[in-house]
Amino acid sequence: MTTTSSALQMLMVRSLDGDAAAYRQLLAGCQTWLTRYYARRMAPSQIDDLVQETLMSVHTKRASYDRTRPFLPWLAAIARYRWIDQLRKTGRAGEVELDDDLSVESDEESVGARLGLARLLDQIKPEQALVIRMVKIQGLSIAEAATLSGQSEPLVKVNIHRGLKRMSALVESE
Amino acid sequence: METRNLIDSLVVDLKPVRSIKTSSGITVALVATFVAALGVIAVFGARTDILAGAPDPIVVIRCILLVLLGLATSFAVTAAARPSVGNGSNGWVWALAAAFAMPLAAILLYAYHMMTAQPFAKGDMDFSYGPHCLAISAASAVLIGTVQTLWLQRGAPTNPYRSGWLVGLASGSLGTFAYSLHCPSTSIYYIGLFYALAVGLCAVVGRLVVPRLIRW
Repeated sequence: MTTTSSALQMLMVRSLDGDAAAYRQLLAGCQTWLTRYYARRMAPSQIDDLVQETLMSVHTKRASYDRTRPFLPWLAAIARYRWIDQLRKTGRAGEVELDDDLSVESDEESVGARLGLARLLDQIKPEQALVIRMVKIQGLSIAEAATLSGQSEPLVKVNIHRGLKRMSALVESE
Repeated sequence: METRNLIDSLVVDLKPVRSIKTSSGITVALVATFVAALGVIAVFGARTDILAGAPDPIVVIRCILLVLLGLATSFAVTAAARPSVGNGSNGWVWALAAAFAMPLAAILLYAYHMMTAQPFAKGDMDFSYGPHCLAISAASAVLIGTVQTLWLQRGAPTNPYRSGWLVGLASGSLGTFAYSLHCPSTSIYYIGLFYALAVGLCAVVGRLVVPRLIRW
């Protein structure tokens, strides 16, 4: 499956004109690219859902693609938007924990995800980063994180919420 | 659902579409501004010097600055609807900087008068039209901002907060331009204070209201 920008651009232009075969090929190429893109950012169990959501966004927002410009930057912008949206949802559901497999995954993409995460965690307040690491990455409960960090349980929840919100804003401003 | 099945259903749903154009975004903003200006003139009347074809120089300058800011931010709004790396449209920052000339001039002149204790000219500090200015500018901006937001919903804005600021700035400056065709004041202090206030308030409202309307 080819995922070069020029090949995808050509397929997208034909898709905008209603070419179903080109569109099927384009979406398959997008699926490959998006899976790789999210593998560096998300827990493996969340990737499929996000890839599907992004493919639907590609479909509904395809009129926003400028035929004269490269395709991959457009796809990357759509993917990034969906990713930030996912981070927001995670931030709103403060008590939801990330999957265990994020912390045990050891392949290159997971390492990349961790490095990106570590960079973001370095840019928020230490007390927020501490409880996000404990609850969202190590999988501790709110009560355990409160005991270990010396913060009250409500404060742990507030710090997780604010920290994730700040991280979303940092990602968005990049 | 399997991703393969999803792709099948999206392919079945495929219909030819036309890409949204920058020109259509600018056109809707200009048409809405034209309607707002006509409304202001029809209800409140135009300045007599404009009707006579010999507007006061400060009226010309303020109109140019407001339209410049409105157009530049409208271009940025249309760029925001079509996501792509390197597709930034930052000309509006320079237009905004230029628009600060009026409030800056007002501050400098006011400081000069204070330091030299020179009296202000008659009417310079008459702010009685202020609430009128804010209300008409805001009403015009609501019309223009609504049209721009509806247009933006067709696109895929990937930074809703920035888009909100831009819609607020664009509609605020174009709405204030519509009001300026009626505005009886030519005081630099009045323009520096109330025009800046009108545009600034619209920008804040845009930032608060527009993002939730354009999420997708």
